[in-house]
Amino acid sequence: MNLLEYQAKDLFRQVGIPVLPSQRIDRPQDIKHLTVPYPVVLKSQVYAGGRAKAGGIRFVENTIDAVAAAQTLFNLQIHGQLPAVLLAEARYKSSQELYLAVVLDQTLGRPVLLGSAVGGVDVEANSPHMKQVVVDQEFSAFYARRLGVLMGLKGRLIRQVSHVLERMYRLFIQCDLDWVEINPLAVGGDGAVMALDGKVAVNNDALGRHPELAKLRFFGTAERVPNLAVDELSPFAEETTQPPPVPKTPVPEGMSLVEMGGSIGILCNGAGLVMTTLDLVTQAEGTPAFALNIGGDTLLGSLPLAQRVATGLEAIQHRGDMKVVLLNLLYGAVESQGVGEAIAPFFKRRDGLRCPVVLRWSGVAEAAAEFPSHPNLHVFADLDEAIAKAVILAYPSVARNVG
Amino acid sequence: MDGTLKFTATSRVLIQGITNTLGLTYAPLMQAYGTQVVAGVGAGHGGETVNGIPVFDLVEQALEAVEDIDTTVIFSPPYEVLDAALEAIADGIRQIILISGGVPPLDMVRLLRKAEQTDTLVVGSDSPGIIIPGQVLLGTHPAEFYTPGNIGIISRSGTLTYEVALQLTQAGLGQSIAVSIGSDRVIGSSFQQWLQILEEDDQTEAIVLVGSIGGDSEEVAARYVQEAIDKPVVAYLAGRTVPRDQPMGHAGAVIAPRLSGWEEVIGTPESKIAAFKAAKIPLANRPSEIPQLLNKLLAQPLSETAS
Repeated sequence: MNLLEYQAKDLFRQVGIPVLPSQRIDRPQDIKHLTVPYPVVLKSQVYAGGRAKAGGIRFVENTIDAVAAAQTLFNLQIHGQLPAVLLAEARYKSSQELYLAVVLDQTLGRPVLLGSAVGGVDVEANSPHMKQVVVDQEFSAFYARRLGVLMGLKGRLIRQVSHVLERMYRLFIQCDLDWVEINPLAVGGDGAVMALDGKVAVNNDALGRHPELAKLRFFGTAERVPNLAVDELSPFAEETTQPPPVPKTPVPEGMSLVEMGGSIGILCNGAGLVMTTLDLVTQAEGTPAFALNIGGDTLLGSLPLAQRVATGLEAIQHRGDMKVVLLNLLYGAVESQGVGEAIAPFFKRRDGLRCPVVLRWSGVAEAAAEFPSHPNLHVFADLDEAIAKAVILAYPSVARNVG
Repeated sequence: MDGTLKFTATSRVLIQGITNTLGLTYAPLMQAYGTQVVAGVGAGHGGETVNGIPVFDLVEQALEAVEDIDTTVIFSPPYEVLDAALEAIADGIRQIILISGGVPPLDMVRLLRKAEQTDTLVVGSDSPGIIIPGQVLLGTHPAEFYTPGNIGIISRSGTLTYEVALQLTQAGLGQSIAVSIGSDRVIGSSFQQWLQILEEDDQTEAIVLVGSIGGDSEEVAARYVQEAIDKPVVAYLAGRTVPRDQPMGHAGAVIAPRLSGWEEVIGTPESKIAAFKAAKIPLANRPSEIPQLLNKLLAQPLSETAS
């Protein structure tokens, strides 16, 4: 879960990372009651990166300029996102701009400190200036000083930067972050440092133990861009990232949905199975409409399979885009109870599923369930046969040509 | 890890979190399969039994009562997994299987630091664990999909492990072991650790590597196979047509930058397929192709496949 800049800066302030005086602006008229003295920087609060290049940052000298700039910013879409709030911040004169980040390297299974003595809008990943230090064992300040020296910092700046990094690391651990980034960390004429912009992403799996952070979810853009998958917007890849498609289906708790835009609705119990089913449908020249993962068996407290199947079908049954539903359910005897009964009502109810359903299960006797008998329900134990049937049902004319 | 780890029907197994839903469901199934579940731990439930298994408040107490424990299977909820695993390590248990998904990555970082210091094998998190067909079940695999045999399965995904096992069983190819190494973003044991273990395992004649998009474990594994594995290896890769940046339900199965934007994007199917090709590992296009590819490799003399 990404945070907006002003939310990130609130966290910075709490752990003692130096930030400028600033004020949140909810409506253009709020700008008249600014407590931050001019000159001021107005910054659009959107999740997408590349804000400066997209015109989302304006420098203003007085109230008249500020009102006009605020109105412009509130109506300026940045990579598909409109801001709900702006941040008004004091201006700062910097003599140097650094880049700092703490991220998690999933391959190493370790946090990594990143830093470059050449920060700012043009910072580049593959630049020779970008240095890294792996936090192999328990963190201590020396890791931060190592990075400072690698970055080529000298004298007092080494300590000042390592001081900021220590606090970033503390935030990273305390708040279960995926990453925290300061770019730029400005070095002022007096040699002091100041975090001018910051990005923070909280790990989704850890949100449950950070209720105060979970509350920040979707704040600011929720009203204007419903269901925007902000988590998945990489703040870095903004130049190429299209705004994600708005989900047509509310995703039930504990499930995940991928929208694909085709005509075969896919529902599976497990992410691996979803991936394989998508691949096989595509290989068979079918086009998936979406794939709903109702969850595997390793989620504690998740509902029994039968209930998850019912909840999943409930969520997708009224979608107009699917010509056929492909249920790929792989479960053992222990999960089999009630699966047949969970499916049956969707064929009986008048408002139930109207399109054909292809159901694939293991075919292993112990896992047998009583599936309803209905002309619209096609049951298979063989995965390839189930895929072929789903594609034929979705595109009868194409299938004839293919044979 | 020295590759000599043995999970057998005589392994003495502890279940932590035995009194919660997953534990109560799977403890009897593990027992019924022949696993020696000697004790369970559920704080506040000391003195109770689950299907005849004595339950203790602490791992320490369980150890006092039953003396020897080889492996613990942890069914605790995700936010309690780190603590449960640290307790097991503190009490000298060196093989740990983590079932629950959604363990926060930084908890795994702490656990893995400790595990490395103590030479502890951690499998998972978000894993149905290990099954040695006909002998022992350490986790939640649906046992009826498996038959004893000589194919080792190493997989990043739970349900996909079942799928591959089912396809092998139906094709008459039994399995020596199936390990799900876990689908969370940061996990314990790697593909290469298990490749090494199966290379040294007498029961295993060929290995199926079941990968998915996200991360770079397939690339690393492919290079390792080329360097160090003589037994035939067949790979399968799930998620080739999945759009980028889409959450599939596995924290680890997202094509994303390794370092949050600062390295080239990793986890793409193209990179993984290229790595398998470079290592001359046959790649099945679909699960049903795996048995054919295995049969082809097994029919060749070992020297050819190991070239």
